[in-house]
Order: sequence, then structure tokens, then C-alpha cells
Amino acid sequence: MENPVILETRNITKDFPGVRALDSVSFQLKKGEVLGLVGENGAGKSTLMKIFSGAYPSNTYTGEIFIEGKRCVFNGPKDSQGAGIAIIYQELNLIPELTVAENIFLGREPTVGKTDIIDRKKLFSRAKDPLGLLNIPLPAQEQIKNLSIGKQQMVEIAKALSYSAKILILDEPTSALTEQEVEVLLKLIDSLRARGVSMIYISHKLDEIFKITDSVTVMRDGKTVASRRTAELSRQEMVSLMVGRNIEDMYPKKAAAIGEAVLEVKDLFVSHPFLVGEKVVKEVSFKVRKGEVLGISGLMGSGRSELVTSIFGAFPADSSGEVYVEGKRVRIRSPYEAINYGLGLVTEDRKLYGLVLGMQVGENITLTCLEKLSWHQIIMRRRENELINKYIGALRVKTRSSETVVNTLSGGNQQKVVIAKWLATGPKVLLLDEPTRGVDVAAKAEIYQLMDNLAGEGLGIVMVSSDLPEVLSMSDRILIMHEGRMVKELQKNEATQEKIMFYATGGK
Amino acid sequence: MNNQGKSGLGRVIIGKYGNLIGLIVLIVLTTILTNGMFFTQRNLINVLRQVSVNGILAVGMTLVIITGGIDLSVGSVVALTGVIAALLQPQGTAAAIVLTLLAGAAIGGCNGFFVTKFRIPSFIITLGMMTIARGLALVFSKGEAISGLNDSFSAISESYISPSISLTVFGFLALLIVFLFVKERKSSGYERKIFTFNFIGVMSVLFIAAAVAVLVWLIGFRGMPAGVAVFLGIAFLGAYTLNQTRFGRYVYAIGGNEEASRLSGINVKLVKFLVFLIMGVLAAVSGMVLAARLNSGVPTSGVMFELDAIASVVIGGTSLSGGYGSVGGSIIGAFIIGTLNNGMQLLHIDPFYQEIAKGVIIIGAVLMDRKKK
Repeated sequence: MENPVILETRNITKDFPGVRALDSVSFQLKKGEVLGLVGENGAGKSTLMKIFSGAYPSNTYTGEIFIEGKRCVFNGPKDSQGAGIAIIYQELNLIPELTVAENIFLGREPTVGKTDIIDRKKLFSRAKDPLGLLNIPLPAQEQIKNLSIGKQQMVEIAKALSYSAKILILDEPTSALTEQEVEVLLKLIDSLRARGVSMIYISHKLDEIFKITDSVTVMRDGKTVASRRTAELSRQEMVSLMVGRNIEDMYPKKAAAIGEAVLEVKDLFVSHPFLVGEKVVKEVSFKVRKGEVLGISGLMGSGRSELVTSIFGAFPADSSGEVYVEGKRVRIRSPYEAINYGLGLVTEDRKLYGLVLGMQVGENITLTCLEKLSWHQIIMRRRENELINKYIGALRVKTRSSETVVNTLSGGNQQKVVIAKWLATGPKVLLLDEPTRGVDVAAKAEIYQLMDNLAGEGLGIVMVSSDLPEVLSMSDRILIMHEGRMVKELQKNEATQEKIMFYATGGK
Repeated sequence: MNNQGKSGLGRVIIGKYGNLIGLIVLIVLTTILTNGMFFTQRNLINVLRQVSVNGILAVGMTLVIITGGIDLSVGSVVALTGVIAALLQPQGTAAAIVLTLLAGAAIGGCNGFFVTKFRIPSFIITLGMMTIARGLALVFSKGEAISGLNDSFSAISESYISPSISLTVFGFLALLIVFLFVKERKSSGYERKIFTFNFIGVMSVLFIAAAVAVLVWLIGFRGMPAGVAVFLGIAFLGAYTLNQTRFGRYVYAIGGNEEASRLSGINVKLVKFLVFLIMGVLAAVSGMVLAARLNSGVPTSGVMFELDAIASVVIGGTSLSGGYGSVGGSIIGAFIIGTLNNGMQLLHIDPFYQEIAKGVIIIGAVLMDRKKK
């Protein structure tokens, strides 16, 4: 009854200087199935994928790969493509100025006779085959830059199909997609499965794993710790397999004593950075009290990030409205002023906005508060180190030393460094924008615990998040945004995922 | 595993100290090829003085390049400030120095203003400023060298600080550096691998001891040339600023990730502006040292100095994309270029070939840097 195995690895071991990234990994993908590959950041998923893609040549690791029972040796991307493997990466590799068809056939364009001139007619008609396999209409002559991220991803998949790939690997495919786009993608995966394409689906989002996969392989510390039918696994089991221990309570939220308003925003409007007359935030008013966690929910582009960055004085466009910190009217025109008023902003994308990746862990932590660690211009090392060690300890940042370059840390630990650098300023209000995106389960639980403790200490916390379970369980109150407006406020006890989605998608 | 560790250590040393090892090899080689002519007190002092003009620029250029910028105008600014200083001689030496420094600050500030205010790439602005400053130098001087500087002005480069004074100051500075070095090691809270620490520690102590011995030997000759003292002072200040001050930390942070720095409350524009301003001031210092040495303000001097300064910084291991680098490295880079120039002169190699050799070294240094990553 079982399908034959299409892709198999035996005892793959890969060492990096000082670390064993993969420890005799044996792994099987069956024909026509969707296999979910899950594990914390640093569990070895990406390394395994780079072996499948040929990015690591075969002499840099030990072990064997078989495709349909035949031993394969991958020394470069060409080898792996030739064997029928296609990988859709998180970062898309399309050329924005070229059309859909040109991107699909990049490097193997049909030409006129024996010349080097591209036969555009043939190009566009050939593109219809792979595009037809998608469930949505995608014009072959559209430029990539005019397509949404979701559609661009479809182009990548069409490209893979045009190679007649037998094995499709999707690496965190939904991390940049809207809810609707996710639906479209999942449907496409379904129909590709029906056509007999085998897929590996890597994701942190367990909901999707349960929805779409037939079986699941869990990786931890460079090993495959379990391979099961998805139907036989519970969410709890999967999480404890990933972290290697039982997480009884992922969301520890306990009610903190809620005090008076620490941050209040009245009638805030924020202009669009480029479009004259457009507003990205419209007439938003809210309060957050000491010890309270205020969740802000909404779809991407609903103005959530613009709202918090603008309060923080970091949004590159005009705003109007009133902001009060502890009852006092303040005008914040720069992050520097925001910090002085006691605000901290844990930004959305830690690699772009949160960290100086080439600098040390310690240097990143104190970047926000060097002023109080200096005598005039001169940095007082002892005080700086005390502060650094305090936060590395308090947040349990896993790093070899405070002088380790932050780039080498795992995603979860990098995120802790971002939080540490804002705690180091001694804030009264912490604005968190997607605080757990791309963070593994264990670190997530720790970050929630930390939020809890901070609220307990009387901090006001504003949390923008797309992760509905997170919003529901961590917030005392939830504000929902739609097209720049605050459309609904829900108390903790009345909020459900369905209600939030209803208002976030414009329901009234 | 053992093997791997060893080659790893080797790589660390070559990566971190490759340019230093290169300099030592170059010095030994040049000394052998010139039958010891290179390694005499008279010649080495000459090398030091030649290096000073470029070295002062390289210190400023290190800051500029770490923030992710570049300054192509410094060569022309050297000429312009030299001319300005020469024209200001009648006002007295002190006034000439102060006003020339202000002129340098104004030009650097102008670069910084356009780069930060209008977000124009520094490459473009300073390219423009390069020809503007050159043009101004020619206009002010009417195209001719202005000679006959005050003796007190020429003293900036030509006088010698007596051996006793320079040794005292030098010894004091050396102690200060050792003190800072030890303090920093002590205050870092985590343990390091003992072997690596000791090995590199011993290497650096040995090298510093050798450098100190050579300097003391040179000072013993006639004392410290004033221009060299200016250069060493600026180098020390530059290294101290980058490593120990808030401003220095911000310079690295901005080069590493400008947006994250802004969001961390750093006044990115001010820091970048100041970096270009400092570069302008240092170009003026360099211009005055050169003018003092030539005993005239020469509007056509300083051609290609910006490239020597950039080359020193790059050979010194500073990344052109910003975020990494050190003043120490740039100074080693400046000495590599200085030794190369001087050695080839001593060997009577055609100056045309000297240019070729310099280019090869620059490309080689960058290749080595790549490999390290």
C-alpha cells in the first residue's frame, strides 16, 4: 500500500569547524507525498537542504543520497537539478525587470534556429505549460516586479515544474505571504501532490504542517529524531519532539497587576512615505497601562508596523496626533528622543533593523545606551561589561562569550540580543514588532516568559504580531487594524482566532 | 580534529596579522636586496617622514571607509591647504596653522553635509570636491608654487624634537598603550582559549618590543622629526577614538548597519558628517606637513594621494563595504607602501615600474582578505 521511496539519505554526517551540523542523518521521502520537515533553528534543516541542492559538494560530508534507488553524487546545483530536485528558497531568486516567461526559462531560452536570438513567441507559448499547472492565472508577459510576493513564489514553482522536477523542496514558503496567499499555495501543493510530485515542506508554522503534510520528520541537534504519519502526531508531541522536552505550557501568561496608563496615543495619523495625500495610519487612539500586554493584530499592510515605528519617531513620513508617556505630552522626532522618554522598539526584521550583524553580542546590546556607560566620550569598559553580562545572563542568550560576533548565533538567540539591547535602556514601554518571527519553539517560550516577567515588573508592552495563537494567549487586550484604522478592540476573554480574522479582513 | 584546529589557528594568525607579517617580510627582503642600505638610521627616518604625509590621511580614511564611505578629495585638499598655509605666512605661523585647519574642516564639512543632507554617495561628492579643491589651489596660487615659508612653519616637518624629550613622551605613550591593552583584556568577562591568547599575546609583545627598539634607535640619531611626531600622535588618537569612545563605536555600527544604528538612537547623520569633517582636518594637517617639508605650497602636489591613503586602508584589512577595520592596520598598510616606494628608489627601479608593483600589492592584499572570509 505504501508508495515507493523516491529520495533517501543514509548516514549523512557534516561537520563545520567545531560543530557537527548533521549527525548520520537517514531520511526518506516517498513518491507523491508531502513531508513536513520541522525542527528548531539550528537543528540542521538548512544544512540538509544545502546538501540536497548541491551547495555543499559531496566531498565535504560523508554519507549517501539515493534517488529512486539510484546512488547520486551532487557536486553542484546542476547535478541536483538534473536529478529532479528543485528548491524554492525563502528569498526568491527572480529578476524583477524580466517577465514571468523570461524568468522561467532563464539561461535556457528557446532561440531562433541556431542563432543566439531569443524566440519570444516560442518562449511565451512554452511558458504556458508550467503556468497552466498552477491553479491561478498568471500572465506570462507580466514583469516580475508587478507581482505580489505570493505570485512571485508561484513563478518559482512554475520554474521548478518546467524542469520537470520530481522533488520539490519548499523552505518556509509562507513566511512572507498573506493569509489568502497561503490558502492559494496550500491548494497548489495539494494539486501537485495529486500529480505525483513529491514535496518536502519546511516550516515553523505547525498549523500548516498539520494541514498539508502526509508525514513529518522532526530534526533536533543535527539528527532526525522521529518520522511519523502526520495523522498519528499531536501538536504537543510534535513540539516536545522538536525541543526534546515537554513544553507543558508554551504560553505562560499570568495576569500582572495592571496600573495606570504609561503610553497613550490620540488621533494618530501617519502619511504614506511616497504617495502624497495617502495615509497609512488613520485616526488611531489607544492606551497601554503598566503591566499590560496590548496585542495589535491585522493583516500585513494594515499599518501595524507603521503605527509603532511612527510612535518611536523612526518612520520616514509625517504624522499628526498626540502621544503621552506617563500622562505627559511628548513630541518624539527621533529614536534618540523615544529612548529618552522610556520607549523601546524591538523591530520586525532583526537582520535589517535590529542588529549590526558583524559586531559582537555585547556591542550590540549596549548600542542603545552607550551614553550612560560613558564618561564624556570614553566608554567605561567595566560598567559596559557588567551590563552586558547581566543581560546575557538574564535572557539566557546562548553565546560562547560576549565577544562572539552576533551573526553566528541562532535566530532565537539573535532575537534575545535585540530584546536585551532594548531592556538595557531601562524602558517604561516596550513596543514589540513580530517578536517571535523566525524563532524556534524553545526560544519562543522563553521570550513569552520574559514578556510575562517584564509586565510583572510594571512595563507596558505593545505587541504587533501576525501569529494569532500568540496574540490570543499573550495579550490582555487586542486591537485589530484594517487598512490603517483601528477597527475593533477585543478583551482577552472574548477574543478568538475567527473573530480576529473577521475584523482584520474588514468585517463589520 | 587536531589538524583542523592547527590550520584554524594558522588561518587566524595569517588573517589577523597577515599584513604585519607581510610588512616584516618586505622589510627583511628590502634590507637584504639593498645590502643593508635600507636599514640605516638615516634612511629609516626618511621612510618615516615619507610615510607620515600618507599615514595621516590613512588614519582619517580609515574612519571614512569604516562608515561605508570614501573620500577622493584628500589629495587635492592636501595641495589646497598647502597653498593656503603658504599664502597665510605673513599672518604669522600660529594664525596660518589655525586658519588652514579651519579651511580643511570647511571642505570636509562640505563633503559631509552633501553626503548626509542629500544622501548623495560620497564617491560622487568627493569626486567633485577633488577637482574643485584642485582648481581652487591653482586659482589661489595662480598656478605656481609659493615658496619661502617662515622658519617656524617649516619646523612642523623639518625640526627634530630632542632625543630626551621625545624618549620621555614616547615612553609615556608606550606605557599608556600597554596599560589600556592590559585593562581591556582584564575587563572582558569571559575566558579565552589559553593557547591562542598566549601565542598571539607573545607575538604582539615581541613585535611591539621590536618596533619600540627600532624607534628608540632612530630617535637616538637626531631626535624625533616633528612631522613624524604629528603622525604618530594622530595615529594614537585615531586608534584610541575608534576603540575606546562612543563616537568610535558608532562609526563601526553605522558601517555595519546604518538602519539598525538609526533605530538604536544614534544620530547617524551627525556621526557621518563629523567623520568627513575630521578627514578634512587631517588632510589639512597632512597638507601643512608636506608644505613644510617642501618649504612651499605647491598647487600640483598631492596628486593620487587619495589612492595611496585608500590603498593603505585596504591593505590594512579594512573592508570597503564598511563595518570592519582598524587604524593599526592602515598604519601597517602605509608602511608597506612606504617601504615599497623607498626600497625601489634605493634599487634605482624605474618609477613607472614602482606604480605597477604598488598596484599588484593592493590587489594581492584584497585577495588575501577575501580568502580570509
